[in-house]
Formats: sequence, C-alpha cells, structure tokens
Amino acid sequence: MKRISILSLSFVLFLSMALVGCASKDSASNSEEGATTINFLHWRGEDTEVFNGLIEKFEQENPSINVEMNVLPSDSYIANASATLLSGEGADVFASFPGSQFEALQESGAYVDLSNEAFIDRFSESLLGAGVKDGKQLAVPYQLVYNIPVYNKGIFEKLGLEPPTDWEGFLKVSEVLKENGYDPILFAGDISPGQFINPMVMNNQPSDDTFAKLEKGEEKLTNEWFVKTLSQIQELNDKGYFQKDPLGTKKEGAAALFAQEKGAILALGSYMMSTVKQQNPEIEQGLISPITVPEGEMKYEGIHTSTFMLGVNAKSEHQEEALKFIEFLTQPDIAAEYANGTGQMLTLNDIQYDSPELTETAKWLEKKTLFQPRYTISKEQVSKAIEIAVQDVLSGVEPKEAAKKAQEEVSRAIK
Amino acid sequence: MQSNNKAIKATGAKFAPSFSSKLEKRRKLQWNWSLFFFILPGFLIYSIFFAGPTISALYLSLTDWNGVANAYNFVGLANYKEMLTDSPTFIQSLGNNLKFTLTVLICQTILSLFFAMLLVKNTKVNVFYRALYFFPTIVASVSIAFVWTFMYDPNIGVINNLLSQLGLENIAKSWLGDRNIAIYSLAFVQFWAHTGQMLIIFIAGLHAIPKELYEAVSIEGASKWQTFRYITWPLLAPSATIVIAYTTIQSFKAFDLVIAMTGGGPSHSTEILSTFLYHEAFINFRFGYASAAAVIFMLIIAIVTIIQFKMLKSNEVNY
Repeated sequence: MKRISILSLSFVLFLSMALVGCASKDSASNSEEGATTINFLHWRGEDTEVFNGLIEKFEQENPSINVEMNVLPSDSYIANASATLLSGEGADVFASFPGSQFEALQESGAYVDLSNEAFIDRFSESLLGAGVKDGKQLAVPYQLVYNIPVYNKGIFEKLGLEPPTDWEGFLKVSEVLKENGYDPILFAGDISPGQFINPMVMNNQPSDDTFAKLEKGEEKLTNEWFVKTLSQIQELNDKGYFQKDPLGTKKEGAAALFAQEKGAILALGSYMMSTVKQQNPEIEQGLISPITVPEGEMKYEGIHTSTFMLGVNAKSEHQEEALKFIEFLTQPDIAAEYANGTGQMLTLNDIQYDSPELTETAKWLEKKTLFQPRYTISKEQVSKAIEIAVQDVLSGVEPKEAAKKAQEEVSRAIK
Repeated sequence: MQSNNKAIKATGAKFAPSFSSKLEKRRKLQWNWSLFFFILPGFLIYSIFFAGPTISALYLSLTDWNGVANAYNFVGLANYKEMLTDSPTFIQSLGNNLKFTLTVLICQTILSLFFAMLLVKNTKVNVFYRALYFFPTIVASVSIAFVWTFMYDPNIGVINNLLSQLGLENIAKSWLGDRNIAIYSLAFVQFWAHTGQMLIIFIAGLHAIPKELYEAVSIEGASKWQTFRYITWPLLAPSATIVIAYTTIQSFKAFDLVIAMTGGGPSHSTEILSTFLYHEAFINFRFGYASAAAVIFMLIIAIVTIIQFKMLKSNEVNY
C-alpha cells in the first residue's frame, strides 16, 4: 500500500511538473517587468539578422513590448504554422503566402481585418490586392517580387543586344546568344516551370482573370491561349535556347551557371539577384520579360507578386501590440533598412533603395506589370497541373496533349 | 494446515482457496497493479504518438477536412472511392513506389550480401571498409540528397563530367530530369545510403553460422556455390528476413530523399505514396483525402510485410 502511495504521488508530481512546464510559456509572455511578449512567425531565415536589428529598435521604442521571432522552413511553413495559429497559441504576427495558402487561412478565420489601419496608406494601392478578401484587407503584402527572368546586362551590352519587345525579337536575341556560345535561357527544372509560365502567359491569356475563370470551369487549358503558350515554350526548347537538360537542373545549378556568366537569362525572378550578386560581385543584372505577342498587342511588360504577407492572428491576445509591430515595420525608414539589408523590394511607397540591383528593380515600379497569374489560383492542384504541363512539354509531350492532360486534372480538382 | 500452506507457498503449486491464499492473491494483485506504473510512460507515449494518430487518421479519412479549418463534413468512403477510381497521380505514385522499392530491395540485398561475404573476416582492413560502407547511414538524408543533387546535375555535376572525361558522353543523362530514369536515380541513392546498414546485419548472421558446418562440407568436397547454396544461404535466412523486411518498409517510407531531390517531379515521375500524401495534406490542403491515402499506404505496407515474413520464415532452417 505504501508503495502504491509513493508511486501515485510520483505520478501526480510528474503530471504537475508537466502541466507547470506547459503553462510556463504563458506566464513568461507577460513577465519581464510587466512587458508583453508577442510572437512573430515567418519563413525567411535569411532575413533573421536584419529582423533582429529591427526588433531591437522596436523594443527600444516600445519598452512594454518584447518580440520573439520564430522562423520555420518555407516548404513546411503553413503546415506547421496553421496548427498553432488556429489553436490561439503561438504567433501573434505571422507571414503567409498569397494564393491557396492565404485562401485556406482566411477561410479558417485566422486574420484580423486590417482595412482601417492607418499604415495601409503607406502601401502602393495596386500591390495590396493579394491580401484582400471580400473587400477586407486581411494581410499586407510586404515584399515585392518580379517573377520575370533576370538577365546579364554585361553580356547583352557586349553583343549589342537590347531587351526585346516582341516574340520575334525574343527569339532573335536568343539565337544571337546561342551563336556566341552562351546558354540563352537558364531554366531551373524545380522552380522555373511554375515561374516562367507567368510572363509567358501574361499577354497570351484572354483576360487578367483567366486562371480564376479556369477554376470556375469557365475557361479551359485546351483553349488556344494556353496551347499557344506551351507551343512557344516547346519552340524555345526545340531551338536549344534552354541549357542542356533543363528539367534536371536545380535552382542552385541554374543560378551557379548564371553567376559564372555561362548563360544570359535566368528563368527565375528578381529574388535571385542578391544571391547571384553574392556569387559574382562583378555581374550586372537587369530584368527581362519574354513578350510572346507582336509589340502592338502587348498588354503587360512583366509580372509582380508578393510572397511575404504580414497578418495578425485573430486568436491573439495581444492584437494591439501585434498591430504596433506591423505599423513599425511599415515606417519608410525601417522598411528601407529591411529592404537594403535583405536585398528585397517592398510594396511600400517612398522607400530609398541603395544597391544597384534594387535600384534596377525599382525601375519596374513604373512599368505595367500584372500580379502573378498563378497566385490568383486558389487550388494548388490547378496550379500544379499548369506546372506539370510545362514539364511535360519539356519532356517531349506535344503541347495539345500536355494541355489536355492538364485540363483533365483541373476538371478533377474543381468538380 | 499450517504446514500444508507452507508447502504450497514453497512450491508455488495450485492450492484450494483458503483465507491465507486469498491474502496471497491480493498481495500479488497489488504488486501487479503497482507494475502498471512502470509501463505507464510507454503506454502513454504509444497511445499519444501512435494509437491516437492512427485512429484519428482513420476517422479523418472519412471527412473532407482541409487540415486548417475548424469545420469539416463527414463524406463516408468518398475519399477512398476517388483515390482508387479517379486519381491517376495516386496510381502513378503506387507504381513509382513499387519500382523504387523493388530496385532498392534487389540491389540493396544483393550488394549488402556480396559485401558481407567479402568483409566477413575480422581483419583491420575489413573493419575499415565496414565502417566506410556504414558511414552514409549515419549522415542525414537531406545532406545526402543535397550532395547527390549536385552530383547528378547535368551541367555542373561530377557524374556527367566524369563520363565525358572517360569518353562516355552517350551514357551521360539528365539523371533527375528525365522522367523515365529519375525514379531509378533516386533508388540508387537510397541503396547507396543504406547498403552499409544491411551489410552489418548480414555480417552478424554470417558470424552466427557454426564453422563446423563449413569444415564438414569441405571434407565432403562441396564447391563454393554448393556451400553457399546449402549452408550459408539457408542459415542466413533469419538475417535475410530482417534485411528484406526492413528494406521494404524503409523503401516504401522513403520521403526526405525524394522531397529534397525531386519534390516528386518532373511530371509526378518520382512521386511515391509518402510524397503523394504529403502533397495532398500540406500543399493541396486535402487532409481528409491524404488520411485516406495514409490508411491505404499503411495497409499496403502491412500486407507486403506479412507476406514477406511468411514466405521468408518458411525458408528458414534451424540447426
């Protein structure tokens, strides 16, 4: 009996300790001389150092608020983040992707409505759409990315080439590059199928909401605009304008070839410019779009998107403090510090960029660009079907057949 | 009576119910009850991390939960029906998984057995080689994946460069980009990484075979093949059972290598069941559907493992 009592007591003690351990986080969040701790969750590990500096400044300005930052890998971010967000524990301020991930989170009521916050006015109005649902600004797109290929300005200058303004011009430039021993377009098999399709389709699609219509069953991938786009990708491949074995080349491999100046155009996006610059500080980079139509029919010069949208957790107990933190991050001087420290463009107005890459990218703010079509798709299966159609064409499947297969997948996804 | 009870206590034999025996039983019961606390941690861990999620997956497979929302609907067997009748990707993943598993199983078993036979003697050189072959097993799969991804790169990778330098350009391939061979390229990395692990199991099995048997067949004039066929292989069967079953389960569950090297692409050509259910759950937000895939996946592994055990056990020889 005595043994049972001791064991029972030990068990109760063990449970109590476990419960105390679980509870310690909450009690800690309001400790430290009465300061409130908010949790900031994002996936850009490469920004950690810059964010640490900014958080320090924020805490100096707001001594009653501490910010605890957590970084999760981007490929499993939403899977790991969603559970803590919806349980009411974890992040108070969090980053999210536009498109299907934003859709899933907003359906679950994860966001606080930011529509009436004063800091909204600091953003470029045309770049805020990705975080809007039913007229409410649920998340603010923070980082601005141009999902159009990066090109080597030095090689273009050396060969006397200008960025083309129509499809014939694009093919001609590619041919000159090839004749001079360069791989005209470096295609990353893991990333480019989903990236390169955006500028390829921007002037071919009948309307800006074509992909949205596709999900409603009002548009089909077997229609002329998509088959034409795939045919143009096939033409680039057949003429040898992609490097050898594009589907077997990974992002890092394509970027390395570009940094080594073996290729002239990198079919990724502006987010690669700082990485390439680190590998080759001498390289001069710009952005270039494949214009798939005659010059007179061009509607858009490029694609923009935002992959880093900030939101406040609707279940957070510290929403006021969380909003203060976002307000702080959107102050022009703070945002400029983030942009220049990380080499990323921002969706905010009046930001002073200081690196050549950011200055070059900033020129695109004046151009007519379209929000990334693939991010207007709310179902990932539809997005994947489009990506696989590009892979199929590069594997030798005829465009019509690849489009038919992709449409069958879309039909399955939306039924 | 007292002496009788003493005798019963001493022998532990069955005895007729009596007051003292009831006390004895109660004391034993109390002791057993206290033992429960010792298994409690294991029981709790098993319930929380295995039994609970398994039951939960079974239930979720009958719903349309998206993995994020609070609300979801009960859809019965609709997820199973869709998967088995209207999901070319699931069928393709199953096919890829079989190709992957069979390739790894055959190559890994043969190679590990071959190297085990070569390295069975405990010399310094053999111990060094065993350690060398075992090394990839202790390296994280993701690190292996990154290294091999670079090695496989068609433009800057060491494999194609080496082939070119040897004048074998025609063999050079887009190892991960060609959808006809990508799954085999992954299988190669898988068995490269785990052959050393199986080698150790086979070496342990070989050491357990009595030397007298080899001496006896040697006197009888048996050839090397006959020695292997009639002595080594039958007596190595328990080790082979472990190697084959473990390799099969390990290959069916391969995930990190595939995700890190190809993500299932190009065109789903390297999608296997584990990556399929990951994509459905965490990329497509179809948690209910993915749970149904997980249930089917679990059943396949269970069936394959049971069949293998039965077949291999029937071939085992005891001496």
